[in-house]
Order: sequence, then C-alpha cells, then structure tokens
Amino acid sequence: MVHALSEIRRVLAPDGILVDLRPLADQWPVEVVSLREVKRTGRILDLPEQTGGDTASNEAMQEVERRGWFTREQQELFPFIYSWDTPSEMEEFVKDEWEDFFDLDDETKRVTRATWAVADADGRVRIRMNVWIARCRKQTSTMEIEE
Amino acid sequence: MTLQRDADRNEIKFLHKFVDLKDKRVLEVGCGEGRLTGQYADETRLTLAVDLDRDSLRVARVDRPADLENKIHFACADSIHLPFAKEKFDIAILAWSL
Repeated sequence: MVHALSEIRRVLAPDGILVDLRPLADQWPVEVVSLREVKRTGRILDLPEQTGGDTASNEAMQEVERRGWFTREQQELFPFIYSWDTPSEMEEFVKDEWEDFFDLDDETKRVTRATWAVADADGRVRIRMNVWIARCRKQTSTMEIEE
Repeated sequence: MTLQRDADRNEIKFLHKFVDLKDKRVLEVGCGEGRLTGQYADETRLTLAVDLDRDSLRVARVDRPADLENKIHFACADSIHLPFAKEKFDIAILAWSL
C-alpha cells in the first residue's frame, strides 16, 4: 500500500490532493425502515479480512504522513446506506458480494425477517455503513526514509 | 434485486465538500465499474480512472455517458505502477481501494 501511495504521490502535481475514500468496518447496524419508523434488528459481523485490511490501510496512511509525503487536512465519517425490499435480498447480497469481508449471524437474520414481516407495507431492510473520507495534501520536502 | 445504494448521495456530497474538482485533472484509482466516476467527472478538465479488473472496466466504458467520452478515460493499470508521467494530476481519488 505504501508503494501505491508513493506512485500516487509521484503523479500528483505539487500541492496536489489525495482523497482517501473507503468503508470502515464497525459492526454496521442492520435495520428495518419505513416512513413511520426505524427498528434496529442486529449488526453486521466484521470478518478478519476486512478488519485486517482496514488496519493495513490506516497504517499505510500513517506511514506516508510520517514520511512527510502527505499532510492530512480534513477527515470525516459519513453514512452510506444499502437497502433492499426484503431480508432475503439483503442476505443474498451479503453472501454473494461481501462473502470474505462481512457476514450476518443467524439471530440478526431471524430478527430482521420477523420485524420486516410485521412492518408497514413500505418496509425495507438496510445496512448503514460508515465511509471514511480524508483529504491529504502532497508535500514536496520529505524525510528521506528507506522502505 | 431491488438494491438501492447510497440513495441520499452522501458519497458525492462529501467528495464535493472535501475537494474542488472543477477544471482539475483527476486520477481515480480503483474505479471498478465507474459507479463514482460518472457522478463527478463532468466538472473536471479530465478524468483518468484505472482499475485492474478488465471486466469491471468493460462495464465502466459501456456505462460511460456519451457526452463524457472525451473527458473520462478508463485504463487497466496497477496502482503500484501507474503508467503516467510525474506531476500529471491535480487530484487523486482512492475510491474504496486502499
């Protein structure tokens, strides 16, 4: 990752900006939502592949800041919502698309199905993800540290 | 499948809050199928979006709006060997790819 950040730094103009945008695992809430109400039914399980990746990414950013390649100017977390008409569609998506990174435990599946079954007609299921965004500025004078 | 992804468009709102893309030369690393690219590239001077997944890039090219064909360019490239000259871009976006 530090190599990739080094390449990005190379192709950025002086004072260029790097935007780091990525989801951060944090046992995101699973909810059944309608116009009238929001009910939390469980949480996503973060798998080691995801949490380990987050840690490695954070460490890589810290390392390039330590080397003086970039300076972080701004950072924030914002919600990014995935939603589906039915619990089974959510379960299928998590299994097919996030298999190595996230999972749903049986209790969360059960509670979500039961809650959705008695929800209003416009009831949907959703996962409220946290996405990290940071703005970092390229620095031109850096510490000379060998990798 | 009735998936809705970021219906509130928070991602593009926060991108605009964090960086002024107007008339900038932008490199997007890890563009995938160009989901984010198409939302901001119109205001840039030029957007080069790279990914290693050729299938995703094929989708990105097909989905690219016709009026942005001269502005968005997709390329297969590895982030550790970017095939560009130094200091070519004003902004680099790591799109869910670090």
